[in-house]
Amino acid sequence: MTRVLGWLAAIGLAIGLGMGFGVAPRETTQGNVQRIMYLHVPTAWVAYLAFGVVLLASIVYLARRAEAADRLAHASAEVGVVFTGLTIAAGSIWGKPTWGTWWTWDARLTSVAMLFVMYLGYLLLRGMIDDRERAARYCAVLGIVAALDVPLVHFSVYWWRTLHQPPTVLKPGAASMPPVILATLLVNLVAFTLLYAYFVAKRARLLRAETEALA
Amino acid sequence: MADHWEFVIAAYGLAAIVFGAYWRRLCHKERELNALKSTSRSESTMRSRQPSTTGRA
Repeated sequence: MTRVLGWLAAIGLAIGLGMGFGVAPRETTQGNVQRIMYLHVPTAWVAYLAFGVVLLASIVYLARRAEAADRLAHASAEVGVVFTGLTIAAGSIWGKPTWGTWWTWDARLTSVAMLFVMYLGYLLLRGMIDDRERAARYCAVLGIVAALDVPLVHFSVYWWRTLHQPPTVLKPGAASMPPVILATLLVNLVAFTLLYAYFVAKRARLLRAETEALA
Repeated sequence: MADHWEFVIAAYGLAAIVFGAYWRRLCHKERELNALKSTSRSESTMRSRQPSTTGRA
């Protein structure tokens, strides 16, 4: 199953890359640098998804003490941190030629940086506590609290005056972009979601194997 | 506006490096765990083949 997910993700990424550079047109205002959007937006979406999964899995763990839920939360948080880091880096690279700066303490950027640091702390906390059950319990609480930052990240562009543009897809009403650009973005969203699923499945399986090896 | 291809290449190149490095890390961990599992399995097989000290001499 994991192998199939891996191949699906690889095929999806190849198609997404082909569409991003071969099918989608050059954007008239920003030029070709806008193609970073096909990387930046899907990684941000996957980061939302990853921390949403952490939230749900953490609630399930606290309610039922199911070890599988804890493993899922751990794996999803780790993969979410990778995707969030990449979202920040790709956004920063895109920001330099379009905004004229690598970084600004804008509400969207700051709230994403907070999200990244909180889940980095989540992973550090796991590594610091030897007692497996206690680490799982503390991390479940932190995972739930940190996930509350996700709506803050999403709505920050509405609640505060920011340099970052408002959402063009994840918003009420129709997406405000040409159909070919939207299609390319959606293909990349699916591809990166498959990559996320592959990484989480592989990481969760390894966590299970680690637990069995230590037992 | 200029195309800034260098920024596009930097973003996609960085993504390829990060995902590649994470995937390699997971594969490396998997190999380590498999090796550990096979070592402990062969050790338990060796122990089971040794003559019992509690049985008849």
